Amino acid sequence: MSLSPKQRLLDTVKKKKVDRPPVICTGGMMNAAIVDVMNESGHTLPEGHFDSELMAAIATDVHRDTGFENLGIPFCMTVEAEVLGSDIDFGTLACEPKIARESFPSVKEVVYRDVAAMLNAGRIHTLAGAAERLAKMNPEVPIIGSVTGPISTAASIVDPMQFLKELRKERDASHRVLDYVSEFLIAFAQTLVESGATAICIGDPTATGEILGPKMFSDYAVTYLNKVIDGIHATGVPVLVHICGEMKAVKPSIPQLHADAISTDAFVNLKLLKQEYPQLTTMGNVSTFLLELGDPDKVARHTEGLVKDGIDIISPACGLSTASPVANIRAMTGIVKNSH
Amino acid sequence: MSADKETLYKQLADAVVDMDEDQAVATAEAVATAGLDAYEAIEKGLSAGMERAGQLFDEEEYFIPELLMCSDAMYAGMDVLKPHIRQDAVAEKRRVVIGVIQGDTHDIGKNLVKIMLETSGFDVTDLGRDIPPASFVQTAQEIDADIIALSTLMTTTMDGMGEVVRQLNDQGVRDKFKVIVGGGPISQGFADRIGADGYAVNAADAVRLARRLTSPEVAAA
Repeated sequence: MSLSPKQRLLDTVKKKKVDRPPVICTGGMMNAAIVDVMNESGHTLPEGHFDSELMAAIATDVHRDTGFENLGIPFCMTVEAEVLGSDIDFGTLACEPKIARESFPSVKEVVYRDVAAMLNAGRIHTLAGAAERLAKMNPEVPIIGSVTGPISTAASIVDPMQFLKELRKERDASHRVLDYVSEFLIAFAQTLVESGATAICIGDPTATGEILGPKMFSDYAVTYLNKVIDGIHATGVPVLVHICGEMKAVKPSIPQLHADAISTDAFVNLKLLKQEYPQLTTMGNVSTFLLELGDPDKVARHTEGLVKDGIDIISPACGLSTASPVANIRAMTGIVKNSH
Repeated sequence: MSADKETLYKQLADAVVDMDEDQAVATAEAVATAGLDAYEAIEKGLSAGMERAGQLFDEEEYFIPELLMCSDAMYAGMDVLKPHIRQDAVAEKRRVVIGVIQGDTHDIGKNLVKIMLETSGFDVTDLGRDIPPASFVQTAQEIDADIIALSTLMTTTMDGMGEVVRQLNDQGVRDKFKVIVGGGPISQGFADRIGADGYAVNAADAVRLARRLTSPEVAAA
């Protein structure tokens, strides 16, 4: 008997034996709302960022048209920064939302607000409504709620250049901001879980070895990622974490993360990573260049290689280009589904 | 006297490498008080220090926070010394217009390239982030730039880089400028495809590329 996509993902992160790896794209940093899908359905962004029903419809369209075995929301990394006070440019159909202006010039000037009150702000209710709707309509498909990681969120509310320097110069104030941001992220993720999310994925693109170096990655990224992961684990759902970049400077820190699965960029050889740290559940890492610019045959061959290497969860290696052709993504998901 | 001078230059360089803004300012003031050549002090002190910091970055001893703090120390020293530069000491600088392409607001990489180019003696006009292609073309013509440097971190905005080249072609001014590109999703292949003059993998590489493209042989070609 074949597993439901939800059970397969949950079993995979619990290290139970499954028939084949799940093939997913989490949303958030790994947004899969590509132009092809939206043009076909007429459910479009940026409108879908603000309306539960439309958001759920787009997530459903993506799931149906791409073959990804999950429903992923939101379609951006700006929900958190908006609530915490930054100005957001909501983008267009093809261009994802971005931070127009960070709200604070320095970690010392961050205005601390009540976390519970912030859960009524911005688009949090929109997301909760979308998760609820998706969960009701799709009992067998995992709903993945995506959350921006603590370092990236902090660098989206404090001027990022200043923030990076202050990680060295103003350690106490930096820790205080990261602690506050983490508390908010936990509460936000808990809201998503209460609304029906099966799992949470954290993407933290500013928390890379290339940017921070090993010492700061360990001091800040590992500390606060784990704080957020532990807070989400308290609700009983698994947490997937995506780490950007080459990872070589910070590899020894990776097993210290409390995540249930580690997703990596295309540079990382997941097979070798798995050999080195057999305890990890690996996720990834189909090249997003290939998905945008390659052809279906090449995508299928490359994806098949990852399945043969024993990668636990198959997923794009990074944020998809919204111009990626849907035929390439179907080639990726199709080959995984036929792999058992 | 000349030992003093060398000591002060070394102190300037060390202040930059040690990320010590206060020391950079104090030493720069000592240089000014001693009446030393401010231009030389910048070159052999502050810039030399920044070059060492760039090497440490290349060797993965320093990462972005450290490099940014080094550059703060360098600029602090520079602010003290700039008013003391004798105009005749200043060589004509190569001009660069730099920015992050429209649709993207990630500017850490662009800022690093700007710092390293300024350190290496380029005159950099920074347009900022989320910049439409036409602004690059317009500014490059206004300031008579040698190089147009384009950055993006998002795959969704890469096409804007091609658009800059297209607009330069349409206006018949492509030959006046060298176009260089960089950022997370960019590759040499992409640079070739859009008809850019070069691609740099990081800030240190961008300096080497900019130097090569503005060297007399290449510029004349």
